[in-house]
Amino acid sequence: MSTPEGVALGLLPEILLIAWSLIVLLVASWRHETVRDSRLAGWLSFAGVVLSGAGLAWLWVNQVGPLGLAQMVALDSFRYASVALVLLSAAATILLSLGYLERERLLAPEYYPLVLLATAGMMFLSGAEDLIVLFLGLEVMSVAVYVLAGYNRANASSAEAALKYFLIGAFASGFLLYGIALVYGAAGTTNLALIGAQFAGGELSLMAGLGLGLLLIGFGFKVAAVPFHMWAPDVYDGSPTPVTGFMATGVKAAAFVALVRVLLESFPSAEALWQPVIAALAIASMVVGNLVALAQRTLKRMLAYSSIAHAGYLLAAVWPGTRLGAGAVLLYLAAYVLTTLASFGFLASLGRGGERDVTYDDIAGLAVRRPWVALGLSICMLSLLGFPGTFGFIGKWYILSALIAEREILLPVVLVLTSVVSAGYYLPVIMAMYMKPAPSDEPRPELRLAPAAAGAIALSVVALLVFGFWPAGALEVAGRSTSTLTQTGAPVAGQ
Amino acid sequence: MSDFLASIYFDRWILHVLILLPLAGAVPVLLGDERSAKRTALMVTSLEFVLSVGLWWVFDQAEGGMQLVSSAPWIPRWGISYRLGLDGISLFMVLLTTVMMPLSVLASWRQITEKERAFYALMLTLTTGLVGVFIALDLFLFYVFFEVMLIPMYFIIGIWGGANRLYAAIKFFIYTMAGSLLMLVAIVVMAWRISETTGTLSFAYEHLLENAGSLGPAAPWLFAAFALAFAIKVPIFPLHTWLPDAHVEAPTAGSVLLAAVMLKIGTYGFLRFAVPFFPEVAFSPSVSRLMVVLAVIGIIYGALVAMVQPDIKKLVAYSSVSHLGFVMLGIWGATVVSVQGALMVMISHGISTGALFLLIGMIYERRHSRMIDAYGGIARVVPVFSLILTVVALSSIGLPGLNGFVGEFLVLLGSFGPYPWATGVATTGVIFAAAYLLWALQRMIFNRLDNPENERLTDLTRRELAVLLPLIAGIVWLGLYPGPVLRRMEPATRRYVESVQPGASAPSTATRLGASSTVERVRP
Repeated sequence: MSTPEGVALGLLPEILLIAWSLIVLLVASWRHETVRDSRLAGWLSFAGVVLSGAGLAWLWVNQVGPLGLAQMVALDSFRYASVALVLLSAAATILLSLGYLERERLLAPEYYPLVLLATAGMMFLSGAEDLIVLFLGLEVMSVAVYVLAGYNRANASSAEAALKYFLIGAFASGFLLYGIALVYGAAGTTNLALIGAQFAGGELSLMAGLGLGLLLIGFGFKVAAVPFHMWAPDVYDGSPTPVTGFMATGVKAAAFVALVRVLLESFPSAEALWQPVIAALAIASMVVGNLVALAQRTLKRMLAYSSIAHAGYLLAAVWPGTRLGAGAVLLYLAAYVLTTLASFGFLASLGRGGERDVTYDDIAGLAVRRPWVALGLSICMLSLLGFPGTFGFIGKWYILSALIAEREILLPVVLVLTSVVSAGYYLPVIMAMYMKPAPSDEPRPELRLAPAAAGAIALSVVALLVFGFWPAGALEVAGRSTSTLTQTGAPVAGQ
Repeated sequence: MSDFLASIYFDRWILHVLILLPLAGAVPVLLGDERSAKRTALMVTSLEFVLSVGLWWVFDQAEGGMQLVSSAPWIPRWGISYRLGLDGISLFMVLLTTVMMPLSVLASWRQITEKERAFYALMLTLTTGLVGVFIALDLFLFYVFFEVMLIPMYFIIGIWGGANRLYAAIKFFIYTMAGSLLMLVAIVVMAWRISETTGTLSFAYEHLLENAGSLGPAAPWLFAAFALAFAIKVPIFPLHTWLPDAHVEAPTAGSVLLAAVMLKIGTYGFLRFAVPFFPEVAFSPSVSRLMVVLAVIGIIYGALVAMVQPDIKKLVAYSSVSHLGFVMLGIWGATVVSVQGALMVMISHGISTGALFLLIGMIYERRHSRMIDAYGGIARVVPVFSLILTVVALSSIGLPGLNGFVGEFLVLLGSFGPYPWATGVATTGVIFAAAYLLWALQRMIFNRLDNPENERLTDLTRRELAVLLPLIAGIVWLGLYPGPVLRRMEPATRRYVESVQPGASAPSTATRLGASSTVERVRP
């Protein structure tokens, strides 16, 4: 059995973050009037994320051993790697928000503790070794993000986003909870590994199968996979841009990691049951996401639909149900998190009082006015496209390898063909910035990125290129992080 | 010369330098000021050319395999390494690239007047990509170069191109990408399937080549993926529709590089990857019949469409479709003679079509029209220009004594054995080529000088002559004395032919004709 000290140690990053967020909340309740107060809360929160990251690093480096069999939270590198991604997303979101909130006059510092709490939820979600912890993490995350989505109270679309997200989210949670209940009924336990042991080597009972199906639907909503994606464009579109970035990266990363863990640890024996479902979701998401993104006029909505397409690529990486696939999920998430955050960061710097309206035409000739923004955004677009030389390509290559190692051919072909389609909406961004003349009417007042945000974005873009050319280290981490997950596929070379 | 090169370990570093030098050169271009950009770029590309010439001596003429191979681990976990090397096929593609680069820079001297730093930096990046494609011996590395060079070309067309440049740029990009992504899947499938039988996951070219025979029923699909990627690049009819748009809209330097070098990546890909990996598929009756028929259609169709173009640049663009058809015919002829011919056509087409695009660019700078109608009788006004245009056009037609003849003749000679009918039809392509080019020539520089605007045209400047004379020298040299070139490509060609057709008629044809006696024969 696990000791209290052991549990405290195993949950060090989460505990640090939650304790810190309460401190920030206290500070925020005393000082919540001026720009300086907001800034203070922001930097404090950033420090909290860094602190939590330090705790995570300690845990990761020392590889704390198992603290008892019936553990609630996993203690493996897969959790550490995914928590690192979540923290990265949170840190970048905070840095982007600093200037954004001031500009949009959203001076309520409670924003930052909400980001921290949502992050803590994501950390539990991605580390959950038990369906109950998984659900708790999901709810902690979701409730905080509902509020964040509607943070711009004065804006009708922001309120609409929050309400939509809340209603659909509650719906999804219902599916998930029902699924958990059925799985518990069939297996007699909520621990993922024990469920796996319970179902090993046998057909799933109807109840367990139904539970698995409901779980998949719940996850489908959370990761915005087609056909459970209807909420995503409106919500992404209406929310404040840094929050959109946070939702598209942190929420998605945590949900995908949890999905991988559930499928690999609890249902490896039911591969025949869930693989067709995942494949269908993946193909539908890739096709619909990419085709609809093609028809968008505004950048934010284009990015919203493209994030549906990326959910499709990630589902394709989940499909093999192997460690290689899990590694691909991690690596692709890393690439996707970096790229998407930087893209939304650039977008936040382009808009004026609502970047909802930034169209392709608005960025025409941007390369002349703001060469660095144009260059950075171009690199982001190429990375999203999966172009060689960027991190996004390494992610796609990894997914292709994971699929092909399992002798799957339909998913890779759909993946690359839909990637070609995506060139049809990523390239026009570059084209508008570099190849079209600036509109002749009076120039719009330019916005400048806050130094913190600019630094975060610049770092992300540099990371995209560095990992694009020297991916060996990142691959090593992704590969090793999955070594403890249940292995179902045949042993493969390169592991 | 060889001793000197050996004393400086030339063979150890040359390939790496050829890849890194242009990329490094892009930095001072970007950091320097706007006016010195073109000088820096010219210096870098000239240095690149001078260095690459050393390959001529370092290269071992008797060796048919890969030479100067060097390798460094890149992504060991996936069996990917940074692996370079070249043989008699890639040697000339590299030289062609390094020759065309400084000339293209020089040709852009006056034409590119805005964002010069960006333009020349992109040109240098493009050099890295083009050289890299031809010497990469790891399929991951090859794919990276294959795709990465799209970006500079996309910008060169999209920013400095003509009126319809945006459409042309995105069409070029998406066509190429659609093919290459399926090839990416095929590359990964190959490596993983082979790792299942051999136990090593590696993307090294030789490893995949040795074991490609074990792929079994997957082979036709993999071949199809490779072939599609390269067929778009060549381009083979009916996948050629991006070509006229891209060539016409690109600025002169872009058109030159597209025609002279980038199209060759497609045929090089067939020679290096698609056919040697899957010879049984490539030379199965249905596939070879299809490819030969498409090649012949390309030859005839390209020539016929070229004939009716009112726009001289478009005419030359379509003539590329026709010339590249000869290359495809030669590759599928699969005799030493026909493959050598295909390589010669690749080189000659690069030189002649490159020169044609340069000449068109020069006259366009003066007159701002590419319409053949707009000219007429300008031989009297610009005699030097007209003389050079005539020489280049004749070389493109394939006049004996100039470079175009050697390659096309060898292709027809070598392919006649296996495909008499197709070769017979292809021969008419040479006649059509004479028709469209001579007719255009007549309407442009002869006839009557009836447009007063043409009376004020100025003849070629010294800079422009400096661009064209090296190409003219190449045209004459390859036409009169192609021996040294053919000798260097022969071992690699022979190896290729033997590997794709073990025990077939290929060696006998070669022995009967004797590759070296063929050389004698075309020498006047």
